Amino acid sequence: MDYFKEFFKGVWEKNPTFVLGIGMCPTLAVSTSVSNAIWMGIGTTFVLFGSNILVSAIRNIVPSHVRIPIFITIIATFVIIVELTLKAYQPAVYKALGIYIPLIVVNCIILGRAEEFAAKNNIPASILDALGMGLGFTLNLTVLSFIREILGSNKLFGYTLIPGFKPALLMILAPGAFFTLGLLLWGMNVIKARTARFKRTE
Amino acid sequence: MKYSDIVKTTIIISVIGFISAFSLSFMKKITQEPIAKQEQEKKLEALALVLPGYTVQQEKTVTIDDTPFTYWIATKEENRIVKKAWAFLTEKKGYGGPVQSIVGVDESNTILGFTILSQNETPGLGARCVEVASNETFVDHFITKNLTSKEEVSWFQEQFVGLNASKPIAIQKKGNWHKEMKEELIQHNAVTAITGATITTKAVTQSIEEGIQKLHKALTLQEVQ
Repeated sequence: MDYFKEFFKGVWEKNPTFVLGIGMCPTLAVSTSVSNAIWMGIGTTFVLFGSNILVSAIRNIVPSHVRIPIFITIIATFVIIVELTLKAYQPAVYKALGIYIPLIVVNCIILGRAEEFAAKNNIPASILDALGMGLGFTLNLTVLSFIREILGSNKLFGYTLIPGFKPALLMILAPGAFFTLGLLLWGMNVIKARTARFKRTE
Repeated sequence: MKYSDIVKTTIIISVIGFISAFSLSFMKKITQEPIAKQEQEKKLEALALVLPGYTVQQEKTVTIDDTPFTYWIATKEENRIVKKAWAFLTEKKGYGGPVQSIVGVDESNTILGFTILSQNETPGLGARCVEVASNETFVDHFITKNLTSKEEVSWFQEQFVGLNASKPIAIQKKGNWHKEMKEELIQHNAVTAITGATITTKAVTQSIEEGIQKLHKALTLQEVQ
C-alpha cells in the first residue's frame, strides 16, 4: 500500500470540497474568517479521525443493512465529545463556532468517508485517509476564508489590514462564498487540465 | 431476512448504542464541573460589567406574562445615600436564534451596562455584535509589533451605555462606529446598527424594551408582597 498516496489524495486528487463535491455546506458557512475556518477544520479532522478508526475496526461485524444508523451513532458520539471538550476548556472557540459544531454530524465528508473508505479498508489506511481528508478540508476552508476575510471585512486573523478602507461586504455574505468557491474550482480544474496535457505530451 | 439475522442486528445496534451512551455520560461527567464553572464565571463577569461600582445583593426569578424573568438587585453607597440598580436577563429572536443579554439599569432607567451572553448570529454579520473594536492593524500586530491597548468591551455593546431604557431606542443607519458619534447618539437615544439589515440590532433594542417593562412589573410585584 502506498501510504503517501493514501494520505495525499485527500489534499489534491480527491479533495473533498473541490473534487468530490462533499462538505460544501460548512465550507460556505464558516469560511468568513480564517480563525473560524482553522478551528472548524481541526474539529472536523478529529471527528473524522475517530469515526474512521471505529468504523474500520467494526467493519466486519456490522450488518450492511443497518450500517448507516451505526455510523451516524459513532459520528454523533465524537461530535458531542468535541462539543463538550471545547465548551469546558476552550469557551472562546466554542462561542465563536456556535452552531457549526453540532453541524459536524451532518457534514457529508465524515459519513462519506466512513461509507466509502473506512468500511472497506483496514485501520492504518483509514487513519491516513481521515488525516488526509481532514487536512484537505482544513486547507480548503483556510484558502477560501483567507480570500473572503481580506476582501469582505478588510481583516486577517481579526486585525484590520488597511485602516479606513471600506471592504466589500458581499464577500462575507453567501454570494461571496459561491463566487470564491467557483473561482477556486475553476483554477483547480485549469491546473489539473494543464498537468494532464503535460503528461500526455511527454 | 432470517430470524437469526434480526437477533444479530439487534444485538449489534444495542451494543454500539450502549457504548456510545456510556462514553458520552462519562464525558459529561468529567466536563460538567468545568462547564458549570465557566458559566458561573461568565455570569459574574457579565454582572460586574453591567453594574459597574455596584454590589449585587440578590438574585430573583419571577414569572411575568407566563415566562420566567431573572433579575438582580444591586446597591451602591455614594455620599451616605444608598443607590439602587438592577440587572436583568432578556432575550429576543435574532436571525439565528435567541440573542440573550444582561442589561444593568439605575433608578432613572439609564443603562449602566449591557452585554450579550449568547448569540448564534451569522459570523461576520450579526455576530459582530460581540466584536471588540480594535484600531490595531495587521501590520501593527504582526510586523511592526506596535501594540496599542486592546479594548475589552465590544463597540456595539458599549453604545447602549447611557441610553434611556424606558424610552424606545432608535436605530440609526449603519455607520462605521467611532467614539465621537457617542454624544450625538445619546441625544437621539439611538444606536448604530451593525449592518444595513438591522436584524440583530432590532432584536437587541426590542429585548431591552421588553426587559425593562418586565423589570418594572417585577418591581411592583415585589412591593405588593
